[in-house]
Amino acid sequence: MTASTQAPTQASARTPPPATRPNSAAAQVRLVAGREISTRIRDKGFLIGSAVLILLILGMLVFQVVLSSGSDDTRIGVVDGNAAVDQALQAQGEAFGTDVEVVALDDEAAARTAVEAEDVDAALLAPSGAQPELLVMSGDAQLEALVQSTVQGLSIDDQLTAAGVQLTPPPQVDVVALEEDAEENTEATVVAVVGVLVLYSLLILFGQFVAQGVVEEKSSRVVELLLATMRPWQLLAGKIIGLGLLGFLQMLVIAVVGVVGALAFDVVSVPGRLIGTVVTVIAWFVVGYAFYASVFAAAASLVSRQEDLGSVITPASILLVLGFVISFQAAQDPNSTLATVTSFVPGMSPMVMPVRQAAGAAAWWEVAVAVVLMVLAIAAIVRIGGRVYAGALLRTGGKVKFREALKAERV
Amino acid sequence: MLEFDGLYKAYGSNQVLQGVGFTVAPGQMFGFCGSNGAGKTTTMRIAMGLARSDAGEVRWNGARVDEEARRRIGYMPEERGLYPKMKVGEQLAYFARLHGMAAGPATSAAAEWADRLGLAERRNDRVEKLSLGNQQRVQLAAALVSEPDVLILDEPFSGLDPVGVDSLAEALLDQCRRGVPVVFSSHQLDLVERLCDAVGILARGTIVASGTVAELKAAGSGRQLRVVAPQARPGWAAGLPGVRVVSEQRGDTVLEVAQGYDDQQVLAAALTTGPVTHFAWREPTLVELFRGAVTAAPAEVAA
Repeated sequence: MTASTQAPTQASARTPPPATRPNSAAAQVRLVAGREISTRIRDKGFLIGSAVLILLILGMLVFQVVLSSGSDDTRIGVVDGNAAVDQALQAQGEAFGTDVEVVALDDEAAARTAVEAEDVDAALLAPSGAQPELLVMSGDAQLEALVQSTVQGLSIDDQLTAAGVQLTPPPQVDVVALEEDAEENTEATVVAVVGVLVLYSLLILFGQFVAQGVVEEKSSRVVELLLATMRPWQLLAGKIIGLGLLGFLQMLVIAVVGVVGALAFDVVSVPGRLIGTVVTVIAWFVVGYAFYASVFAAAASLVSRQEDLGSVITPASILLVLGFVISFQAAQDPNSTLATVTSFVPGMSPMVMPVRQAAGAAAWWEVAVAVVLMVLAIAAIVRIGGRVYAGALLRTGGKVKFREALKAERV
Repeated sequence: MLEFDGLYKAYGSNQVLQGVGFTVAPGQMFGFCGSNGAGKTTTMRIAMGLARSDAGEVRWNGARVDEEARRRIGYMPEERGLYPKMKVGEQLAYFARLHGMAAGPATSAAAEWADRLGLAERRNDRVEKLSLGNQQRVQLAAALVSEPDVLILDEPFSGLDPVGVDSLAEALLDQCRRGVPVVFSSHQLDLVERLCDAVGILARGTIVASGTVAELKAAGSGRQLRVVAPQARPGWAAGLPGVRVVSEQRGDTVLEVAQGYDDQQVLAAALTTGPVTHFAWREPTLVELFRGAVTAAPAEVAA
């Protein structure tokens, strides 16, 4: 072609009609979200991290099972026993905080075999005789005391009956619990603390993903190509929604593994409370993620290099870390001023409130207020953060000041 | 018709664009020239919605270029940008989809363009593993993959070796034949001269010269005569009235003559020195036109 060639006149051979149709805003958001998910889900680091997190939860469950086993029930073999002996042993067991299972044994030889085989924890010989005997593998103070007091009680009963004393049944003590479900609350609180630990880890992890993604697009300058086809808010929304779905999915998987595991290993006594607490934590994860993902995205948009990310992310995550630390304090004293106040503070409430809820220390209206405050905060952050993001996105090079980004022209 | 109409843009007190306007016809290749910092990139970014003009607008087929129209424009930014960790094929398909292609056609278009630009074997490689030249090809493929109606390319040739330049030029000429208006900026004026149907020279915030290359040359010609008279002694033309010697080298002389001057007087004078082997009005090169246009007034602040 030479310099003198003239432009071909209008509409030369225009081949087939364009293969494209204009995308709606929602379609662009979906495309961005889809890319985020498909990129992450094939990332080895992410997969390994997820597997480790689930193994950790399973490990905690197994640990619980090992800790709590043994103190559960006691098997006592009895030779020459009767119904009264069985009942007395079980009644004493209750007083000692263990379920006693009585196994009837034929004779001393059978008793020895059973103890040696650890088929029973101990074997009681001739409980009603003059010289009762307890066979154990080795000394167990609690077990000895349990059997001792049973035998004594039986003996006193016998002697009193022999002496012709008519016993009126002893009065039943009515128990009035001031804190009605203290034990259940404690259990739910433990579940909530574990849940908050997972919630916190996932918020950090996925907040990081959002921040790194924003900087990656800025540092590689691909953002200019992207913004030629969509608005900044579409890019931001796609990124947050895509990674959020992935985070939510991971939270769900962990929750299901945890709940199913806990039920299967019989770690919890009230499955209803367990599931309720887990659902609460998941709900708080959703609002917490919306909050921190927006904060992290806006903060990350101010820098152009991964190395500078720490300098903007650290201040943004102070609230997150504080909330996490306070959640432990809240587990110990859910009614303390610190826990109560912070359970309303947006950004901290996702970690403190579920613990207080589980401990039964938060009224429904308190939860409602905390949620409303959080939603208002998210609305404000999405607005301000979106402006910062749009203003800072095309300014590559150094670090953009927050105020500059707010004032910058948005395209 | 792609029209840039009266674009104004200031960054603070720095008036970058002061009424930039030019038009590009369908199937026309438009070379956009100007010194560093003249505002070429700003002009293109305004067209792509990446900067907002203070005044003026860019129109395509008579309508202001909006978000929807922009998805029909293939764009190559000055700062190259791709996802470094994404595979070539997937990346191209992603950009095709962002421009509105359905999933199936996007995938096949990505494969086709990778193939056409010699990247067929690298389709499953991450972009970061490619050489810079190949990354540049991916960048071009990203601009072309959605079969755009318009191409706006900022310095597409920079950083390419001669073979790369040829294959890129071929790809762009293909697009012109398809009826696509192509605007590209470049410092390589020989390339612009070779490829472009029309040229615009941006200086001091406005287009100081524009038109087809032939028109520009015609406007700039008629002033200089080249005379080759091997036996002429040095300084033979110095005494001629109304003539200024631009250069003289072993009988090869370039003369600038005043408007309306009779060139036959020069020929007569030359013939007195002996044989004349070349006597013609000389067409200025684009480089000379550019230099003349850009330096005609206070020098541009180089960025």
